[in-house]
Amino acid sequence: MPDISTNAKPTWCPGCFNFQILAGVKNALSRKISTHNAKKEDFALVSGIGCHAKIFDYINLNGVNTLHGRVLPTCLGIKVGNPNLEVIGFSGDGDAYAEGMEHLIHAARYNADIKYIVHNNQVFALTVGQPTPTTELGYKDKTNPLGVKLMPINPIKMMLNAGASFVARVFADAKQVEWVLEEALEHKGFAFIEVIQPCIIFHPDIGVKEKTYMLQENRHFKENLGDALKKAEEFDYNTINKIPLGIFYQKERETFEEKWPQLKSLIGRKASWKDIKR
Amino acid sequence: MKLNIRIDGHAGQGPNALAKVLGSVLAKQGYYVFISRDYGSYIRGGHNANVLTLSDSQIMSNDLEADIAIFLEKNIEIKEPRKLKDNCRIIDSAVEKNMYFAGRLVKMLGLDFRILENELKKLKNFDVNLRDAKKGYADAKTEFALRSLKNKLEFMDGGVGIAEGAIASGLDVYFAYPMTPATSVMGELAERQLENNHIVIELEGEIAAINAAIGSAITGAKAMTGSSGGGFDLMTEALSFIGQAEVPLVIYLAQRVGPGTGAATYTEQADLNLALNAGHGEFPRIVLAPGDPLECQELTSQAFYFSQKYRVPALILSDKHLAESLYTIKNKPVITKSQKCISLKRFNSYNHDESGTAADNAPAIAKSAESRIKKAEEIKKEARKFKPFKLYGKSGSKNLVLFWGSTKGAVLDACKDIDVKALQILYMEPFPEEIKSELLKAKNLLIVENNSTSQLAQLIASKTCIHINKENKILKYNGRPFLTDELRMEIEKRIR
Repeated sequence: MPDISTNAKPTWCPGCFNFQILAGVKNALSRKISTHNAKKEDFALVSGIGCHAKIFDYINLNGVNTLHGRVLPTCLGIKVGNPNLEVIGFSGDGDAYAEGMEHLIHAARYNADIKYIVHNNQVFALTVGQPTPTTELGYKDKTNPLGVKLMPINPIKMMLNAGASFVARVFADAKQVEWVLEEALEHKGFAFIEVIQPCIIFHPDIGVKEKTYMLQENRHFKENLGDALKKAEEFDYNTINKIPLGIFYQKERETFEEKWPQLKSLIGRKASWKDIKR
Repeated sequence: MKLNIRIDGHAGQGPNALAKVLGSVLAKQGYYVFISRDYGSYIRGGHNANVLTLSDSQIMSNDLEADIAIFLEKNIEIKEPRKLKDNCRIIDSAVEKNMYFAGRLVKMLGLDFRILENELKKLKNFDVNLRDAKKGYADAKTEFALRSLKNKLEFMDGGVGIAEGAIASGLDVYFAYPMTPATSVMGELAERQLENNHIVIELEGEIAAINAAIGSAITGAKAMTGSSGGGFDLMTEALSFIGQAEVPLVIYLAQRVGPGTGAATYTEQADLNLALNAGHGEFPRIVLAPGDPLECQELTSQAFYFSQKYRVPALILSDKHLAESLYTIKNKPVITKSQKCISLKRFNSYNHDESGTAADNAPAIAKSAESRIKKAEEIKKEARKFKPFKLYGKSGSKNLVLFWGSTKGAVLDACKDIDVKALQILYMEPFPEEIKSELLKAKNLLIVENNSTSQLAQLIASKTCIHINKENKILKYNGRPFLTDELRMEIEKRIR
């Protein structure tokens, strides 16, 4: 398999679960390159701002480390610029669910062929421990000494309602990440993947992993939106009871880039706007 | 020979369409035409005013008083300072539709009905419009026998000029979110997207629009976005990101009255400082300010040229008055061709090394800053090859009138035949510091701006250390553009 590492030395904390995500992503992408005759140039990676974003520095593929919250419009712009690229976005939970929420809802609606991985550690880690929209009630830090008073959002439920054509959640384990990204790469359309990732410094695993189970091992029919919504309700990001993992929902429909004749023509000719001579 | 024709009515009665049709007919007959639009923020009702000035020589502004008034409604009140001449011919009706008046006016001016008929073919509801126009033509008498002139004139507004310039520059992708008065460019580009094979996409907001434009730009596409006032404010974080990541992007900023929501459909030149300073950090940028639709086309092509070659943001600064007023243009634009200079590689909003990987050691940060300074110097040097400023009027005059952007029309018209020289600045950044010698030659400096704090005077002072006397600042900040005779009086009061 081709080596897609950079020379940059990772600056995540020793033992950080981001190493698991990085390994899973690198394995999935390397395999895609080696077995599907894909070239490194066929990929574009986009990351936001926060601990997750450093992943851009450790994978030697083209793309951009963009602004906080703006991963999805940047991904969309890349896809419009060259609809033949395999575009993969990375965000943290602050990035995806706080600053970038408006884009997330619309990305699900647009259904551009973009794979989107949210590293959800339920905390703003790089700014040293403030709560995000998925932090549980009562969580305290220096900026919230009275404790979190608002219920977290349920991103899986939200994405299902917003019309995402692929909705999955895994734990930050290299094997799970690799598996789900491979599945997503085979999916044509917007693939939302949430990775439940403990932050070993500010939001350690308080029994999440033990409560997880795999949907695909429990007769889950991923084509059924109603079933997916029911499963999404099993974990509200506040109380740890049962945490289903795997692909909640997957159903392909026409993609964003298939709807515009200009982009359809670029796909047909395997060209980008850059190739259009005027 | 010059006539000012007012066309007033409610939104929904079609005063704009009527004015545009009449303007097209006159332009086809070789007459110079200028039409400004005054309307409020409503879809139906209210009071919309179009003022059409026509002349046998170049004009780009309206006068205070109207020679002819077409009222699509009875009892229309004209808002000061504009008025009707004592002998103004008033054509009004509470029953007839807009194209009836087109027929009447065409007859009144002694123009060929067939030209009007051809213009009506370009609109919807041709049969009804033609019937109305014929009726109007039959109801009128010829009072001004306008013979046709040999001028070959294009007729367009500034927004169309920007769109034409973008298309001529090889635009691939335009992302935006609707906001008056920037949206006319989006509309024009959208209508022509299939014929020209580019793409126009409306996204969920201005932040999405500019970030998507950045995404397309890094794949090598020629990308553009545009907005006004608050919409542009939302884009400023991404503007700074471009400064760091070195992405070529053209941004259209159509000014309107601020601050806040301000007055959405009225004009102001109050975002010069914003365009020059928006975005945190220090990075090179281009800020170009066209003054008419010809310059809109030319400067848009220069914006693409500089942004691609130097991988910098290039802003085109327009305003409501320029974007939505209709002008006749005699000359063909000089379009600057540009290459697509970017290929997808690794870009970064974080300070980075050559490979695009984040780097925040001291030498890496200093190196990035120095490379941006060097780039700014190179841009400044190359900008001199273009026309960063233009001179008009009496070359030996000791009175010098300074202006920028959409005040061009009124300034040039007001300065005709009086003892002044006029200097227009088109490159706000990089600023043409060589104008200092012109400023020093003049004994009396005047400045004309559509704002309340004279932002061009502030810029000139910071770049040349030359200050313009307070009493010589002719500033208008009520949302309305300058009128020819009103401005001429203000200038005449101050010349020596």
